[in-house]
Amino acid sequence: MTMETDPRRARALPFVLWWLILLALFGASIVVAFLSLGRLAPIIQFGIAAIQTAVLFILFMRLKGPPSLKWVFAVSGFFWLLFLFGLSMTDYSNRQGWPLTHYAKRL
Amino acid sequence: MRGSAAVLRPEPQYASLDQQGDVAQVGMWVFLVNETIFFGALIFTYFLYRTFYSHDFDIAAKDAVLWCGSVNFALLVTSSLTMVLAINAAAQGRRRAMIWLLVATVALGCLFLGVKGFEYYLDYQDKVVPVVNYQAKPGEGPAGELFWFFYWVATGLHAIHLTIGIGLVLYMLLWRIRRGEITPAYFAPLEVVGIYWSFVDTVWLFLYPCIYLVGRS
Amino acid sequence: MSVTTAERVPQGDPVSAVPNYLTAENTIVSWLFTKDHKRIALLFFASITFFFFVGGFAATMMRLNLATPEGLLQPAVYNRMFTMHGIIMVWFFLIPSIPATFGNFFIPMMIGARDLAFPRINLASWYVFNLSGLVVLYALVMGGANTGWTFYTPLSTIYANGYVFAAALAVFINGFSSIMTGLNFVVTIHRMRAPGMTWMRLPLFVWGIYAVSVVMLTATPVLAMDTFLLGAERFLGLGLFDPTHGGDPLLWQHMFWFYSHPAVYIMILPGMGVVSEIIPCYARRPVFGYAGMTIALMSIAILSFFVWAHHMFVAGISIYSAIVFSLMTFFVAVPSAIKVFNWTVTLHKGRIVFDAAMLYALGFVLLFTLGGVTGLMLATLAVDVDVHGTYFVVAHFHYIMVGATVSAFFGALHYWWPKMTGRMFPEGIARFAAILTYIGFNLTFFPQFVLGYLGMPRRSYTYPAQWQSWNLLSSAGASILAIAYLLPLCYLGWSLFKGRKAAANPWGATGLEWTTPSPPPQHNFKRTPVVELGPYSYNPEDGSYISQDGTAHAG
Repeated sequence: MTMETDPRRARALPFVLWWLILLALFGASIVVAFLSLGRLAPIIQFGIAAIQTAVLFILFMRLKGPPSLKWVFAVSGFFWLLFLFGLSMTDYSNRQGWPLTHYAKRL
Repeated sequence: MRGSAAVLRPEPQYASLDQQGDVAQVGMWVFLVNETIFFGALIFTYFLYRTFYSHDFDIAAKDAVLWCGSVNFALLVTSSLTMVLAINAAAQGRRRAMIWLLVATVALGCLFLGVKGFEYYLDYQDKVVPVVNYQAKPGEGPAGELFWFFYWVATGLHAIHLTIGIGLVLYMLLWRIRRGEITPAYFAPLEVVGIYWSFVDTVWLFLYPCIYLVGRS
Repeated sequence: MSVTTAERVPQGDPVSAVPNYLTAENTIVSWLFTKDHKRIALLFFASITFFFFVGGFAATMMRLNLATPEGLLQPAVYNRMFTMHGIIMVWFFLIPSIPATFGNFFIPMMIGARDLAFPRINLASWYVFNLSGLVVLYALVMGGANTGWTFYTPLSTIYANGYVFAAALAVFINGFSSIMTGLNFVVTIHRMRAPGMTWMRLPLFVWGIYAVSVVMLTATPVLAMDTFLLGAERFLGLGLFDPTHGGDPLLWQHMFWFYSHPAVYIMILPGMGVVSEIIPCYARRPVFGYAGMTIALMSIAILSFFVWAHHMFVAGISIYSAIVFSLMTFFVAVPSAIKVFNWTVTLHKGRIVFDAAMLYALGFVLLFTLGGVTGLMLATLAVDVDVHGTYFVVAHFHYIMVGATVSAFFGALHYWWPKMTGRMFPEGIARFAAILTYIGFNLTFFPQFVLGYLGMPRRSYTYPAQWQSWNLLSSAGASILAIAYLLPLCYLGWSLFKGRKAAANPWGATGLEWTTPSPPPQHNFKRTPVVELGPYSYNPEDGSYISQDGTAHAG
């Protein structure tokens, strides 16, 4: 579905349809929570959140429209978070004594 | 930016209103880099603790009020719809539609805050307010309270950002639009507020599964 | 020594009829509510100079205390001194220093714009900076914090006495000022360049400020969240770093250094940009390897995000993680080394003029190199185990932050003084001050490398008596450095009233900012310039040069 990017010519209907899709995805996320999917559940749920984010960014926040420079910044924030998550996990994934299993008593 | 309803001129450093509007949009997206990383850092702490204390989180999170979070999700997504439709109306010169859609956006935002406030009251009843009124549930270890630390910080910060968003929309309605400064020729300030508004919605897209969909199966 | 550039260049034009940015309006309101990036730069100048003196006062007290083992201050007071010295110098002087002053003043001019993209946000940045300054002064006056500028948990969240919350709040607010400035520069450099000013024709100072702004925007929010969570734990008891709940105190450090390591690059990148302007001008040669210099700047900006845990090697992180971060730290040194190489090669076969600005720039290159190689030593795990937390580290970062960055700041001050004020300063005393800085600096901080190697720990109010001579030497050097830093205040201040009027381009430089009168008019350019060529079109053979707008000048 190609949506009109210029607000001067945009119609309401496509946005209403995408709003319904966002709500449907949201419903799916809840359903997934109640199924016994174990560790898969959060992966699916955050995947749904990522798709919803893409819809909001590209269509509602009009990332699709000019100027195209916006894309660089829209993506950069998430890209930088990869550095934080990834490199921190080099520590947390194999640190001796993590996680804390014996909670220290505060002195 | 000054100007009557008749003629708006670009600021001295801009060659045209088009350039000014484009640059305003770019500016807001640059600001969102900063906001993404701000909330992303918080979600990192959540991710870390949930990964390593998943059992305690599953138990502690059962007291999260699913219906409040879900109603709020629907309210915010709908407000993103009304906001983008308001921008369309501004661009097409449909002034009354624009104003009503912006009023609806503010109303939905305020309803969100109302539901959140009620939810905080329910949280107090459920004894999940750390320091003030907290009781670990059966089987919940000390790490469970980390979930609720995150909850209060994250929803509090989100609510502050939403309040700022409501303030910005009210500023548009009561100041810029009233003075006729939002026209089909130049509606960039409204677009910029809309981008911010939908970003606040985006944050809730991620906070929702973090808080309300943990340990439900 | 050869004749100075200032003496070779003719007297400035008589006062013209066109008012400049200083004289256009002169009410207090016109300054406090200005949208002119040049006035905002001067407002920032005033603020950071004030804080430089506050931080400098703390340093003076510290060095006086350390001159003898018996000391001068109570231990608890000493702890608050080094904490406040660090907080004030890092956030209230070094981070805003070059970007908020020279960046604000010259970025629009260098790219041919009439102002930044968002002038009101620029002014707001100054007000937010001052608000954070008020909060930190409150913390200081009430007795200060004693956690070190690094606020490690659980000391800062649970056990410390003192005004930790206020200090952390000041840092949190200060971050917004950084973010606003960075945002403005990124958008301006992307979208407001004059026709013909392509990315690869930008002066390296603009590239440096762009790189810094990227880092400011992406690193500061993590600090904002970290200080917010620190406040939440200390003030509200929401213990996300509290081990009794399974929280990790090291998580605070991870997020802190995720910001603070790039922050030290925030402090050096603008200095590199400044030096890249000064050296070609005073060697009368184009910079060697312009493309390499731009790639190096951007590489440093991005690689700086991959190395943060080298501050945590002995804090308790996993050894495999330490190896990864050590390797990354070695990588980040490479683009810096490329830059040092390129500056040095730029000098080769140049017509070098040893004016004050050039002396500061050359000092930058030497001191940055020394600081940089000691950084590599610290990156080596086996060495860091011994010298972490000693004066070796203190000397390393002061070589970079003071030796390099502050030298670059003074270099920029002397290079751009005629443009900003319309006055020339006395060259002789300026050169003397530059050389005195270099001597005082090395006397102060080189002994600290030795002390660190010998094992003297940092953040300690006293030390064993056998180390007194090195400490005394360091304190004596500090007094020389203090004089060297105060001298410019005197002769630059004098020049405002009695200095020779400056011409538009006293140094014969090629940037667009030198095509305007000194001081520039309110909106910089009468007509938007059209850029014909890249920067640094200097010819060393005959001293001629071509400005970026295409006008050729004879030597």
